[in-house]
Amino acid sequence: MATETATLTASPTLIPMNYVPMKMRIVAITPETSDVKTFRLHFCDEAEGERFTFRAGQFGLYSVFGAGEATFCIASAPTRKGYIECSVKRAGKVTADLHESNEGDIIGFRGPYGNWFPIDAMRGKNLLFIGGGIGLAPLRSLIWNCLDLRDQFANITILYGARSVGDLVYKNELREWRERPDVQTVYTVDPGGEAPGWDGKVGFVPTVLSEMKPAAEGTMVITCGPPIMIKFVLASLTQLGFPMDSVITTLENRMKCGIGKCGRCNVGSKYVCKDGPVFRCSELSQLPQEF
Amino acid sequence: MATTAAQHPLYQAAPGWLKAVADALAKAGIQVIAPVQKEEGIVDLAPVASLEAAILGNGKTLVPLKQLFFPETEVLLDYAKRDDGDVALEPEPLPAVETVVFGPRPCDAAALDVLDQVFEWDYDDVRYRARRAHTTVVAFACSEAEPECFCTSVGGNPHSERGSDILVFAAENGGALLRVVTEKGQKLIERLGSIVQPAPEGARPPAPADLAPRFDPDRVKTWLDANFEGPFWTEATLRCLGCGACSYLCPTCHCFDIVDEATWNGGKRRRNWDCCSFALFTLHASGHNPRATQAARYRQRVMHKFKYFPERFGRLACVGCGRCVRTCGVGQSLVSVLTQIEAKQGTGD
Repeated sequence: MATETATLTASPTLIPMNYVPMKMRIVAITPETSDVKTFRLHFCDEAEGERFTFRAGQFGLYSVFGAGEATFCIASAPTRKGYIECSVKRAGKVTADLHESNEGDIIGFRGPYGNWFPIDAMRGKNLLFIGGGIGLAPLRSLIWNCLDLRDQFANITILYGARSVGDLVYKNELREWRERPDVQTVYTVDPGGEAPGWDGKVGFVPTVLSEMKPAAEGTMVITCGPPIMIKFVLASLTQLGFPMDSVITTLENRMKCGIGKCGRCNVGSKYVCKDGPVFRCSELSQLPQEF
Repeated sequence: MATTAAQHPLYQAAPGWLKAVADALAKAGIQVIAPVQKEEGIVDLAPVASLEAAILGNGKTLVPLKQLFFPETEVLLDYAKRDDGDVALEPEPLPAVETVVFGPRPCDAAALDVLDQVFEWDYDDVRYRARRAHTTVVAFACSEAEPECFCTSVGGNPHSERGSDILVFAAENGGALLRVVTEKGQKLIERLGSIVQPAPEGARPPAPADLAPRFDPDRVKTWLDANFEGPFWTEATLRCLGCGACSYLCPTCHCFDIVDEATWNGGKRRRNWDCCSFALFTLHASGHNPRATQAARYRQRVMHKFKYFPERFGRLACVGCGRCVRTCGVGQSLVSVLTQIEAKQGTGD
């Protein structure tokens, strides 16, 4: 198959794994919403940091010692060297402890794992990013990656929505993207989620998408958000004539090992951690709907 | 491709050989593990000083052989939070005890070939690999099957060499024929010196246990390929409590969890067995659960063993030991589910 998402296979040589994470220091914490924070991390071991490379779409297992490990995408761009960032919604034990952490604290990181967005296949194409809520995090890595290589892509459009104005993440970056002449942005909040001064749209992402009527020809869509949003976004895209192999998403099944052993992220004969997390929607339709 | 049974050298040992073997291995500082009576009704693997109390006849240990390579719980690392804010990480040393395990059944040994696929693809699980490298598996062929056995339905047989380093055919007089399957097995034979000798020309192992297949896994897979949805899964699995006993005692089940065990300012990160029958197994932090019902979880277990694993790794993730059938507290028999499936195949149901 010609797609990068489909051709990622086992490494030619076995990579030894003892599940011991690298140590990372939290160097900056940015509150994004009432329950989402972005953590900027530096490698404690500089040599480790210099060796570290990743591609947009890959993920890692972040650990708070004493609370355990949890899986998040790398939300920063591979073109921004020297650090990685993750954006974390407070939900369970590890995320609660992460939210209690302070700058200077040490956490663990294993990764990068999984495949990545097929950026080579995106060159020369129009890119339409469709994000919902915290689902903007993996897209952000790719958005900055593409913006840092802006001349390699045609039109870049970002459609992003959240339940309410307060739930929009990366507010400074949303503004920065809006002000760039080489990016089209459409921001929306769910009905009832608007606040005084909100100058974006009011409406669910799939509805706004249908109103935008983007042209399918020459466009690749990259989408991530809550399952219910994805479901209706795919329906809108199908109506607009987008073939499902030009629509790419990233899954976040529960994982423990990240490397195709622990069995937790199995969907059919695929491992989300190895064969994903990035999938073309045409691939997803072939799988049991267990994600 | 593995060499055929006929090509593997056959050795013989005289009555009383097991005592001599245990002594020789003890002298060499090699740990011996064998099935022993742990408490009433429970036979399980344990380190032994001699093989005289070992239970090497027919019958399976409570917990399968996988426990030696992929233990129920194991420490991955120690962490300690220091006063200056740093965290000291100490990886748990790799297991390095030279071990010979006597007495697993051929089905348990065959399961190692299944586990190898998982733990040694792409990323090499060094803890599993170290134990595999340091352990010689001396399986004992079965002359009798237990009621729950179904190895012949899943490509195995009571004399299968798959996964064994040496396969022993015990004789009634206390002697044995030993078929050497791997180089590791050959090394053990050399270490045993005069305790074993090449078997005479024409020596033949006794007949294997008689065990008719109960279902055809190819027909099962054909049905599974077309029947992810449908009422069967709910109807056939209503009894399942999701207790996980079948997975914990399954020689090929390998799902695990990684958890921190915290003390005041340090602790251990552990790997523990886990199970796809548990509702929490796939539960997302958001509350979304991709496998929300017990029927969906039971289906995953069957699909994984008889469809997904074969598609991914070219072999079934079942060796037919029947522990799941024997153990299930509510009589939810995997064999019964599979025979029902086979009966459906081709009927359009």
